[in-house]
Amino acid sequence: MTSSVCVLYFAKSVELTGVKEEIVAVPTPISSRDVWRLLLQRHQRLSVLQDQVVLAVRQQYVAVGDQVVTLADGDEVAVVPPLSGG
Amino acid sequence: DAASTPTSLSRDWLSVQEVVDAVSSSSCGAISVFIGTTREDELDGRKVIGLEYEAYELMAQSEFTKLCADIRERWPTVTHICVHHRLGWVRPVLPWQISSPHRHDSQQAIQRCIDQLKANIPIWKKEVYDTQDSSWKENAECSWSTRNKSSSESV
Repeated sequence: MTSSVCVLYFAKSVELTGVKEEIVAVPTPISSRDVWRLLLQRHQRLSVLQDQVVLAVRQQYVAVGDQVVTLADGDEVAVVPPLSGG
Repeated sequence: DAASTPTSLSRDWLSVQEVVDAVSSSSCGAISVFIGTTREDELDGRKVIGLEYEAYELMAQSEFTKLCADIRERWPTVTHICVHHRLGWVRPVLPWQISSPHRHDSQQAIQRCIDQLKANIPIWKKEVYDTQDSSWKENAECSWSTRNKSSSESV
């Protein structure tokens, strides 16, 4: 099964991809590592963030790794570079 | 009066007085305030002329709510919590206020608030230099930051 999810980019990842958000077709269920690989295929420059990024799925943090997520059409998946608020 | 947790992400100037008023209470003998400001830093001979903040706003609000629940669990006497954080082009940044009946709880609570904000709230800061270049900063408290090597294996 495939879902159309809304991928949001923030901070440095906006500069690397040139977009703030886009709709991406993602097979589901899928590991968070494979979500990240899929985004890397679309935007090779994101590799700058390799090993220093997490995802947020429906506004919950998910480390890039073995965790399997189930995605529905319209779900938000965010690329979250290291935080620097405060 | 009932405990409250107003939070705000704002592109306008922040008012310390407004935040003090939000946490004042007849049952509280202490208000702890933290105000983050822009340091006049220099990096490699470049002067920081300002900061540009952005946030994942809906998620930041929900993470603030979680953070405030954590604070209330640790310090049940904490009465009001109020957080205002600037977005966009900024000089002064971040009045935080916590009120409690006695100062010890509010001082410890505000310390944890700031640490947890830096670790968990999806807000990003870019330093802009007088040379017209810029760089995205990373909080050492953030577990997937390159400044936090010890826990990066878990990511």
